[in-house]
Amino acid sequence: MKSTNINYISPEKVGYFMFFQYLINGLSIGSVYALIAIGYNLVYGILELLNFAHGDVYAVGCFVTFSLILMKQNPILAILGGMLVGYIMNRIVERFAYRPIRFSGRVTPTISAVGIAYIMRNIIMKIWGPETYPFNIGLRGSKIEFGNFVFGTLQIYIFVIAISFMLLISFLLKRTKLGQSIIAISQSIPTSALVGVPVNRTISMVYGIGGALGVIGGILYCIYYQSIFLGIGFMLGTMKAWMSTILGGIGSLKGAVIGALVLGLTESLVGGYVSSLYRDAFVWGFFMIFILIRPKGLFPAQISEKV
Amino acid sequence: MISKNKKINYGLIFAVITMFIPLIVKDEYQLRIVNIVLLYSIIALSINLIVGFAGQLDFGRAAFVGLGGYWSAIMVVRLNVPFIISFISAGLFCALIGFVLGMLCRRSTFDYLTLITIGFNVICLKIFLNWHPITNGAMGIRLIPSPVLLGFKFDTNFKFFYFALGLLAICSLIINRITHSKIGRAFEAMRDNPIAAAYSGISVANFKVLNFSIASFFTGIAGAAIVHYNNYISPFNYSLDESIYQLQMAILGGLGSLPGSILGSAILVIAPEISRTFYDYRLMFVGFLMIAMMLWSPNGILGKNGIGEKVIGIRNLILVKKNKKSTKKIINHRR
Repeated sequence: MKSTNINYISPEKVGYFMFFQYLINGLSIGSVYALIAIGYNLVYGILELLNFAHGDVYAVGCFVTFSLILMKQNPILAILGGMLVGYIMNRIVERFAYRPIRFSGRVTPTISAVGIAYIMRNIIMKIWGPETYPFNIGLRGSKIEFGNFVFGTLQIYIFVIAISFMLLISFLLKRTKLGQSIIAISQSIPTSALVGVPVNRTISMVYGIGGALGVIGGILYCIYYQSIFLGIGFMLGTMKAWMSTILGGIGSLKGAVIGALVLGLTESLVGGYVSSLYRDAFVWGFFMIFILIRPKGLFPAQISEKV
Repeated sequence: MISKNKKINYGLIFAVITMFIPLIVKDEYQLRIVNIVLLYSIIALSINLIVGFAGQLDFGRAAFVGLGGYWSAIMVVRLNVPFIISFISAGLFCALIGFVLGMLCRRSTFDYLTLITIGFNVICLKIFLNWHPITNGAMGIRLIPSPVLLGFKFDTNFKFFYFALGLLAICSLIINRITHSKIGRAFEAMRDNPIAAAYSGISVANFKVLNFSIASFFTGIAGAAIVHYNNYISPFNYSLDESIYQLQMAILGGLGSLPGSILGSAILVIAPEISRTFYDYRLMFVGFLMIAMMLWSPNGILGKNGIGEKVIGIRNLILVKKNKKSTKKIINHRR
């Protein structure tokens, strides 16, 4: 207990190092969630529609990337191909499944989205099967030992890619015409239609961008765990994105990112300290209590409540 | 216009016709599917009570099915409690859990309720899977005895059919009475416009909790019956996907229509059994069905303005012409 010997790592110190290791793991998985959550939050902030299909649509894009890599394509080309598929898929889905019922209550579009999720999952299941495949994109991380901490360079790459996309999106929202029209629509659809914002096209674009971002997030996830399987869509995509969106605050970009990081950290710490068997149960329990205490999230968007 | 007496007659005729099913269907496998349809109908009815009548979207019904099933199984297998007590207490236990969950989301709005029910389902599944000393983990509990009522054992498909039919009849009768009572009207008011309902003296938060508890009671009873029928409980039957599939039964049949729930569960239970190839495309079929329903007939087959009503609409026109005088009378009376 009183040991001051440097060579001897006391149990407390082991705990200390472990804590930092969990922290690093949590931040890197959180940054993957953040990318997925940004795309989700863009849509959610505009229409307040529970997009159950988000994860399964981008999972198709991820699997396309996987196939392209198997065909010995350039990895960057493959990722771009996957993004394109995610973009187009989400726009098609928006056109045929969401647009006609955009203003018919809350239950109807939600269930339609669940239908899309089912169709996408069945497509993946029929084409690629329910197995877990190894996913190797050629981006192999090496270890950096920094004192007693071990970083993977992969974790740093993921973090950097995630952060750069977040900056790109916030630039898009603040500085471009498209971004301004997205913000306008999220405040009021009729008013923005009156002042000449192309509502349908913008919403469709938002869905497309969300899908493309989701594909990147999904691919980063696959790189992190070096495997790809059906579950990256629903349980790891839609649910986590939704949880981080609500943790952070609906309709705010900063909120989605911070919510995702908090979610990643919670998962990592709960898995490390409380119980890895019951990890999901504890995370969901924590999350439910959080919603009850602070339903608006950590950083709610500065938009007046719609009546 | 169809008078109230006629409606009850339809139900009675339907029940009497169903009673002869096991005499016609001799195949054990087919009879088994019929029994499962009857049991799932109760689940669909309880979902209808939440989604169709109160307008709350619940994605975690399978958790309650599982809670009821595990409660009854554990009571009977481990504690040797008589069937009838474990069966009823499973419903009460689920109602209690539903009450607690409802109290938690008293103030939460639509999105949060959806998320909380999903979270509840995930938590329950984890507990079923990992709490080995009680639930026996992924192995599940085997050798659960068949239902026994007053010394009569419902141990074959043929005998169980009447148990399931009786249960469905009692449950649908009770739910029917609830929906036609003051409470049911309050649920519908809450669904159509919560703010207006609150102004007309309905405590929306309390009625939400009440609705949740009542529905959970029926879900729990159905879950217990399924477990006693299969003589086996496995945690994998209570996943989120199962919840959504059960939700789809209520939606397909028609939100706010009780016969619709039975029809919906019949379609969705029987369809995957027809062929193995179809089973592979089950998800896609359900997906397309969900979207098509939402696009063209959000209230399902037998719901308000549903497909059924559009078909029957022509017949109703004739009936209305016949009863024109009485309709006028009603209108005058209202004025």
